[in-house]
Amino acid sequence: MNDLLISLILILVKLGLIFGVVLSMAAYLVLAERKILGRMQMRYGPNRIGPGGMIQPLCDVIKLITKEDFVPARADKWIFLFAPGLTALTALLSFAVVPFSPPLTLFGREIPMVVCDLNIGLLYLFGLSSLAVYGVVLGGWASNSKYSLLGAMRGLAQMLSYELSLGLALVPVVMTAKSFSLTEIVMAQSTWPNMLQHPLAFIIFMVSITAESKRTPFDMPEAENEIVAGFHTEYSGMRFGLFFVGEYINLIVIGAMTTVFFLGGWNGPFLPPVVWFVGKVLFVAFLFIWARGSMPRPRYDQLLRFGWKVLIPLALLNVVITGAIRLAMNG
Amino acid sequence: MFQFLRLEYKGLPYRWTQHDKRIVFYVFLRVSVPPWRIDLKMPKLTIDNLEVTVPDGTNVLEAARELDIVIPHFCYHEALGSVGSCRLCAMMFVDGPVKGLQMACMVQAQDGMVVSSTDPDAMELREHVIEWAMTNHPHDCPVCDEGGECQLQEMTVAGGHGVRRYRGKKCTFTNQDLGPFVQQEMNRCITCYRCVRTYRDYCGGTDYGVFGSRNRIQYGRFQDGALESPFSGNIIDACPTGVLTSKPFRFKTRLWDLQEGPSICPHCSLGCATIPGGRYREIQRVKAGINRETNGFFICDRGRFGYDHANHPERPRQARLDGQPVTVDAALLAAREQVAAIASKHGPDSVAFLGSPRSSFEASVLLHDWAKATGSLQLVYEAHQGRDRAARTLAARLGKQVRSQEELRQSDLVILFGADPLAEGPMLALAIRQAVRNGGKVVVIDPRPVALPCVAKHLPLPPERLSEVLMALGKNDLNAFEADERSLLESLVEQLKVAQRPVLIGGADLLGGQGVQALCSAAEQLSSEQRSVGVITMLAGPNSYGGALLSGHGPDFDSVLDAVQEGTVRALVCLESDPFREARDPARAQAALGHLELLVSFDSTANLAAQRADIFLPTRANAEMAGSYVNNEGRLQAFLPVIDPGVPIRETGAGNHPPREFFQTTPGSAPEADWLLLAGLLDRKLNLVELRESIERDHPQFAGLSSITAETTGVRLTARGDLPPAEEQELPHAATAEALTLMAITGQVGSRWLAHLSSPLAATEPQPYVLLHPELAAELNLATDERARLTTHFGHCHVIIRTDEKMLKGLVMVPQLWDTALEGMVPGGLLDCRLEKEVQR
Amino acid sequence: MNLWRDIKGTLQPFWITLGYLFKKPVTIQYPEEKRTPPPRYRARIVLTRNPDGTERCVACQLCSAACPVDCISMQAAEDDDGRRYASWFRINFARCIFCGLCAEACPTMAIQTTPDYEICNRDVLKLVQEKEDLLIDGCGKDTEYNYYEHSGIGVANERGGNEDEYGPVDPKALVP
Repeated sequence: MNDLLISLILILVKLGLIFGVVLSMAAYLVLAERKILGRMQMRYGPNRIGPGGMIQPLCDVIKLITKEDFVPARADKWIFLFAPGLTALTALLSFAVVPFSPPLTLFGREIPMVVCDLNIGLLYLFGLSSLAVYGVVLGGWASNSKYSLLGAMRGLAQMLSYELSLGLALVPVVMTAKSFSLTEIVMAQSTWPNMLQHPLAFIIFMVSITAESKRTPFDMPEAENEIVAGFHTEYSGMRFGLFFVGEYINLIVIGAMTTVFFLGGWNGPFLPPVVWFVGKVLFVAFLFIWARGSMPRPRYDQLLRFGWKVLIPLALLNVVITGAIRLAMNG
Repeated sequence: MFQFLRLEYKGLPYRWTQHDKRIVFYVFLRVSVPPWRIDLKMPKLTIDNLEVTVPDGTNVLEAARELDIVIPHFCYHEALGSVGSCRLCAMMFVDGPVKGLQMACMVQAQDGMVVSSTDPDAMELREHVIEWAMTNHPHDCPVCDEGGECQLQEMTVAGGHGVRRYRGKKCTFTNQDLGPFVQQEMNRCITCYRCVRTYRDYCGGTDYGVFGSRNRIQYGRFQDGALESPFSGNIIDACPTGVLTSKPFRFKTRLWDLQEGPSICPHCSLGCATIPGGRYREIQRVKAGINRETNGFFICDRGRFGYDHANHPERPRQARLDGQPVTVDAALLAAREQVAAIASKHGPDSVAFLGSPRSSFEASVLLHDWAKATGSLQLVYEAHQGRDRAARTLAARLGKQVRSQEELRQSDLVILFGADPLAEGPMLALAIRQAVRNGGKVVVIDPRPVALPCVAKHLPLPPERLSEVLMALGKNDLNAFEADERSLLESLVEQLKVAQRPVLIGGADLLGGQGVQALCSAAEQLSSEQRSVGVITMLAGPNSYGGALLSGHGPDFDSVLDAVQEGTVRALVCLESDPFREARDPARAQAALGHLELLVSFDSTANLAAQRADIFLPTRANAEMAGSYVNNEGRLQAFLPVIDPGVPIRETGAGNHPPREFFQTTPGSAPEADWLLLAGLLDRKLNLVELRESIERDHPQFAGLSSITAETTGVRLTARGDLPPAEEQELPHAATAEALTLMAITGQVGSRWLAHLSSPLAATEPQPYVLLHPELAAELNLATDERARLTTHFGHCHVIIRTDEKMLKGLVMVPQLWDTALEGMVPGGLLDCRLEKEVQR
Repeated sequence: MNLWRDIKGTLQPFWITLGYLFKKPVTIQYPEEKRTPPPRYRARIVLTRNPDGTERCVACQLCSAACPVDCISMQAAEDDDGRRYASWFRINFARCIFCGLCAEACPTMAIQTTPDYEICNRDVLKLVQEKEDLLIDGCGKDTEYNYYEHSGIGVANERGGNEDEYGPVDPKALVP
């Protein structure tokens, strides 16, 4: 049994684990979001199927799969069919570089608890997030619908703009860790999480990532009371389901990114690292759901103005100050 | 200055007032201006700040209507004129020759008038008048059939009367039974007199009128009984509220649920405009349409209550092939292939095509095309030889002399030769009445006691002598006539000399081809450069003229029957016609047609051809399809569908609610328009517009077909037909000494197939009867209303004796009555008969 | 720009929603718990009867005319005594939007809405109800009104026999 084969099997096992955990988490995040939002609005949320509505996600999936897959007349058919997959795919691929535990030693082998510990993991994440824009843009453009096109345009502008501030907010984190590898970044936070070291970067990151992931209050691309459902207006059945699942996988990705970059990753006392990691991810997801229940949607131009005129200058300033401090401290 | 006009009045010099002088001045001006200098006066007036120019003589109400300003009114009707009795059309005349609050219908439009319909005084007056009209009106709109099309309802809303203030008791009345057509609910009456003006003045009825005074006014007959006038249904249209409603339509449908559309009446050749209304897959009523050139504003009872043939329970709604139900496409294919097979096997002339006066013009043309494609010359458009020849002669001869109903209404001398309008085209009688009301005279030369709703001179002559009279009149040579006949004819000649707009009217039944030829020749001979003598001939069906235009020199149906008998014709295609019973000699037709190898029938009724056909295709009734007819003056008029065919819900639900099952298709919806079936058969997959265009391309003489639209006055075709081949001179009917001469005629009711299939009319059909002169009855020892036994070569039947003073003495008349013993009495020919008193057992 | 106010305005909603998260929901759990609708609630449509037990509906078609979704159909017919009634009357509850316009249009108080809102059915045909399903034995909301007592055409009483009418006039009388 050679080394390569074992590595391959390990990677496949990790992939399977991640797939199963992430997808079922995404499904139950949907339920959690509906229930939490319901309670915030003094309702119960889904509670009919299974105890406390626990089988609801399964039923939703069955419903979506059995629904008609509708392609609008004069839509760009192949692009229309392909776009939802792109969204879900980019979200899933992000997990390749997320470390959820320190390396484990098993049978004398050191197994890194990450599918692929890239030394440019952060840039990889950025690359995927740029690709995710295509899912929105192509889906909206191919639908041959004015609402979809408007949604896609909003999504494009918003995601490109906020990628800048997102990147700039992470520069201090990289400075601290002196690496682009996500494992290194987590290691660097073993004493102090970055949230406390770089509070301004944390705030900028949180705002930017919300806009980047099109979550409420920055869900202009699918603002349902203006443009029906934005870029996925024309989608039905499981293709809509892919957009939907993509969004919730994205929520987990955001949770993982926030955890890795600012909340110290798996670091924490008493409990096993994986529990800390998952707990932190879920907490971040809860934050986003909470925000959805609390915040109204700003106007589209306000969003872009805030991104370009406030966040980016602030992030630049933050980079300069952090750099200056580091320079002064290290001499 | 006016010295020369000094007058004396009762011995004293008359003092000219300023007014008198003005009149004289105006008279002088009018006289001094030569007629060609007087331009046509078109007064220009201002109504509600809008200017309108109308022809002289228009009243202000009509002028306002030109501007789409609707002035509330009850008593005014364009055809009945203004009487100014309802006081509802009050308008304020602000400036101009007339001033103050006036009734708009009573004031003629004049130059410089400034009128306001929204003046507070006028509005207040209208509100009071309507409140007044409503004091005794019951609160029964929910159960009133007029609801939804009630003029009183509309005017009450328009007049602004909302809340009832009158708290006293209301007057009530007893209703009368006015027969099977009209339902009376006298409590609703607002005494507008429109029914009486319609019934008595316009339609010439005498048995309906008004009784009592003040708030006791009752409209009705002296005692209960059916209204006698054949135009009685018009009072339903005339009544502005629910006093007079249609009995067959009672409680059937509200106006807003009714599907209505412009149509043409299929019951006679006059082409009156109608508005059928249908709901729940049945035609439920017919209203008079407006066509100023033909019927004007009214229709006869046959047209109004003759809609029910479309809902007949026995109507065939399924295509059949050798007795088995098949799809329409399969039957069409079989018809095409079997006809082609017979034509190729036995030669093209072995297939005969029989059109019909009641199919649409488009279908008639397509039948012509089918015959042409087959190569067959055996194409006839009418099973009855005499009617066929009459129509073809008319279509060949008629030119500038043709007259419309409107021109007839303006005529000053109307002469009827062998024409009984109430039987053959009732609306013509109404037009003749209007001619009389306008000062015209009417002379009837007919063996029948022709009843007209007006005064007429009557000269009874045997049918074979009608042509003789016509020729004599044309040549102005009356020597051949006896003294008593000559006196009337001489006065007729005198009248013809001075008449400006004389019209000769003939009927196809009695005149036949030769008679119509004589009629047209007489009119031509009598015409001069100053005036032209008009001709109107009543034909058999709504499209007789259209068929006649297409017949060409083709044979008549009797010679086709000969060919069938001989075996040269082996297949017959019947388009909505029944050769078994409509041919001049049904017995001979039935015997001959037994030899046919193939009988194809297209029909919307269950006639014998449809029942016996090898291949049957269901067609749509007139109100269910779009198409066009050519009426007896060559006027091409389009009609539109009202409903789609289907078994009425009344039938599928058996009176209860509709069945609780659902189907993809409507039951009984197979019938298609006759032209659509033929177009499919000829592989011309066209819609009606394309079909009309292609007909225009193929038959340039029918130019204008593609431009006609429904609800217009139609276009007169300029096409001419061809004369039928020369007729074999029939031996004159020689009455044997013992026998009486029997003449079959078209009766007012019961003689028309479509009307007979309509249940409201069928209910009024008489028992079999014969009509004869009282003297002849006395000779035969028969009394009026007695039962007698009529013997002809068909056999015996029992009839009731009717007598009429105006009958020709030596003749016994019998109406053709469908589905009775008199069914075989096809008009147009004389028979021997015996008439005996029924022996009481 | 009041930064403090903005920050407060951003954070306060979070506090409020967090509070609501722990409150008891107001949802009524429908099949288990039911609320009593008010008497004028617009749900199931019924046909009522006159105080004397005869059908009120005269099939005037005003309800079907008023119906914005065309769910009412009927056919009028005439009884032996001249009374107009519905020979059949059908309401398609699968189409009905319970707007109540039919009850408002009804001149005879025949068609009325009731608070019975539990009409749902898996078989659409059971929602298509005929006259016998709709007719109830009672007057509904108005216990006194009888249309033919006021209509003025003499169906319930003799002609001219209602309280606000004179007897039928004799048009042939000679009295002026």
